[in-house]
Amino acid sequence: MIISIWRYSHLALAITSFVFVFLATVTGIVLAFQPISEQIQPFKIDGIEHLNVEQTVATFKKQYPEIITIEVDANQFVSASVITKDGKSLNGYFNPKNASFLGEKPEVSNLFKFTTNLHRSLFLKGVGRFFVGLGSFLLFLIAVTGSILIIKRQSGIKKFFAKVVNEDFAQYWHVILGRLSLIPILIITLTGVYLSLLKFDVIEEKKEKHTIDFQTTAEVEIKPETSVFKTTTLDHVETLEFPFSTDEEDYFTLKLKNKELLVHQYSGQVLSEVKNPIVTFLSNWSLVLHTGKGSILWSIILLIACINILFFIYSGFKMTIDRRKKTVFPKNKFTKDNADIVILVGSETGSTYHLATAFFKALLDKGNRVFISDLNSYTSYKSASQLIVLTSTYGEGEAPINAKKFLTLLNTVKQERLIHYAVVGFGSLQYPEYCKYAQLVDANLQVHKQFQPNMELFKIHNQSETEFKNWATKWNNIVASGLDIANLKVSNKPRKEQLFTVVNKTETNIDNTFLITLKPNKKLKFKSGDLLSVIPKKDKIERLYSIGKIDGNIVISVKKHEFGVCSNYFYNLKKNAQIKAVINKNSNFNVPKKAQSFIFISNGTGIGPFLGMIQQYKPITKHLFWGGRTQQSLKLYKNTIDSSLKNNTLTSFNVALSQETSDKVYVQDILEKQYTIIADVLNTKGVIMICGSIAMQNQVLEVLNKITTEKLQQPLSVFEQNKQILTDCY
Amino acid sequence: MKNFKLIFSLAVLSLVMFSFSKIAPSTKYKCMVQMTNYTGEGAYIAISLINPEGEYEKTLYVQGDDEEWYHDITQWWKFQGKVRTNIDALTGATISGGERAISVIEIEDSKIDSGYSIRFETAVEDQEYYTKDVEFLLTSESVKSKKEGTGFIRYIRLMPN
Repeated sequence: MIISIWRYSHLALAITSFVFVFLATVTGIVLAFQPISEQIQPFKIDGIEHLNVEQTVATFKKQYPEIITIEVDANQFVSASVITKDGKSLNGYFNPKNASFLGEKPEVSNLFKFTTNLHRSLFLKGVGRFFVGLGSFLLFLIAVTGSILIIKRQSGIKKFFAKVVNEDFAQYWHVILGRLSLIPILIITLTGVYLSLLKFDVIEEKKEKHTIDFQTTAEVEIKPETSVFKTTTLDHVETLEFPFSTDEEDYFTLKLKNKELLVHQYSGQVLSEVKNPIVTFLSNWSLVLHTGKGSILWSIILLIACINILFFIYSGFKMTIDRRKKTVFPKNKFTKDNADIVILVGSETGSTYHLATAFFKALLDKGNRVFISDLNSYTSYKSASQLIVLTSTYGEGEAPINAKKFLTLLNTVKQERLIHYAVVGFGSLQYPEYCKYAQLVDANLQVHKQFQPNMELFKIHNQSETEFKNWATKWNNIVASGLDIANLKVSNKPRKEQLFTVVNKTETNIDNTFLITLKPNKKLKFKSGDLLSVIPKKDKIERLYSIGKIDGNIVISVKKHEFGVCSNYFYNLKKNAQIKAVINKNSNFNVPKKAQSFIFISNGTGIGPFLGMIQQYKPITKHLFWGGRTQQSLKLYKNTIDSSLKNNTLTSFNVALSQETSDKVYVQDILEKQYTIIADVLNTKGVIMICGSIAMQNQVLEVLNKITTEKLQQPLSVFEQNKQILTDCY
Repeated sequence: MKNFKLIFSLAVLSLVMFSFSKIAPSTKYKCMVQMTNYTGEGAYIAISLINPEGEYEKTLYVQGDDEEWYHDITQWWKFQGKVRTNIDALTGATISGGERAISVIEIEDSKIDSGYSIRFETAVEDQEYYTKDVEFLLTSESVKSKKEGTGFIRYIRLMPN
């Protein structure tokens, strides 16, 4: 519940302050260019930190009979107001080294004037200033609640900057950019609030008053050595006001960054000194930090932060709208008490609703009496005989937001009949607590007297439609609901199918495996490791094949099953035949750009993507491990492997053949022998990629873990977290 | 005849040019405004030349450079807001309580000792507005004197340059 409070406040704050934040941000982007445009003007004279006030005053006095003020601004430009020898007044930038006039102060452009006005008061003066200040404060709260959400999500403040799993563009970048621009945004908002409070006199800037006793100053001795003018360099000066007249009672007013001094015009004695209050200090810093005055670098940081805020507005609302769209169930035709099948959904972001709804509709189509709801609405179901729970997991094995109450309800609500159940867990293998909540639900149902399992808990990675259909088929076989799997329309995105031409197809080898080479009719961008998605007309279930890219063509390795719909479809294709398919990007299994050394491990048809990878020139070092049945099995790939070895695009090839000798050598066995290569590659930030059967993957991971713990004194999980172990298994 | 016409028109032209380019002799004055120790926003101060009939003649200087607030200096804005002469070169920053500012103003010599006055009017956001915070006749004596203010201004000092 806690997390939803933070999320709701994050959202509520965003909605209430959206208009002000948007206006302030857009104008802020424009205003970020003001300090930059000021800085690049040619009025900067280097070395003013070596110039003291006395020298400067003398230089100016030599040139001009009358000097009113000299100022040094945030850009370290020196400006002055003087009257020249021929009686003209001159205002603008000067070179403090020789008091020459550099040019007039350029007028602030109307664009910046207009934007500044809009930025701080929306042209509404006091009222506008109040709202902008409030908006700034709300944005501050948004940043704080956002940070809390990240901490909860990452389960701990220490993991604040740990890796985030990329599941959704808007969500991923909202978090990534949120963390990066957190500090600038906190600074912008806090200084903004501070400046508003200052405007409304909530914070008062009280300065001490100068007190001067001219009685004592009348007889001052001239002690030029101790003069502040000599000890103060120009870069510390804000303004120097010259005495109004030659009257002894008129003095210099020297404003420095931290204090204000009145200086006797003849003796140079300090008549009075007033330190700036802390409020002035804070105000100056707030202004500098908020506007970026005087620093191009900081202005650019502020600019980037502003652009990020715009992105947060976009991505934040996109997530909200997506979630709203997703978290709506279709209308129930049957009430909870006259339905036979009950579907309960647990979902944090709403993505599971999608599959649940498709499943619900497909069942309804076949005349089943179905009822769908969320896990929190669990209650008694009078005529139900089947319960299906589809649930994701939140954070480290917690219940998703609409399932928090389920386990408590399960123990309090009484069912009249025995109900058969099946649980499907949704999650991502990238999280250590994969489908943990679904396990919890399954376990609780198992010990419950009123429930009996139909089948084991089924876990689905990344909302895979194929997997879900597989589960639905299995479930249907048990329950006999007459479900038509082909009718299970899950994706609402139209598939953009492309045409491919069959360039080559080998005959099947001893293991019934063959290679098929496809050429895209249009130019397509893809890499080895991407997936080719094919939906045969016969059963309308999507199949995914790992792609090896060879000479711009797609090579896939297929094992022909006797009754396999898709493998036979491929096998029966003639040369030059046209097929329709889609290439799915699979960046989790492309060759990472940075790593220098690689180990590819596969068995059977899993060699597919590696056939492409071993022909690439980069990375430099590549070791291929492959496990097959016989020497005959290898023949299919031998040409590609041999040419890669010859061209030095493959460093070594290690093969394990299980049916050749009596002692049955598997790929994990030869890995164990080559532990030095493995330790070497992992130690030098190299990457191990595994493709093949799940059984092989598990055994390989076991061996790898043994090697890393023994030779590198680290468990394999460390390297998995570093993304040094990539898998694509089935 | 032709020549005469040409000379005549040239003469007229140069006369016209001369009369336009001729600048009435004027003097620059240093003007210091010292504020009282009031609290609040910086004050907007308009310094204007007032003719013998008591009407605005010319804006001499404005402390405060954000036009958004000019209408707070009500009387002056009725004049300046209408004529909208360019006063960009005659503006400085607002001055807060206890502060002082020195500016350079220019007054035509013919306006001295001839019934013209100088007026300082002040306005502070959400506070009073003083039409005649300081106003006095421009005489050869008064242009080098110190005058007490009646509102946000403690005193002003004027000095010919």
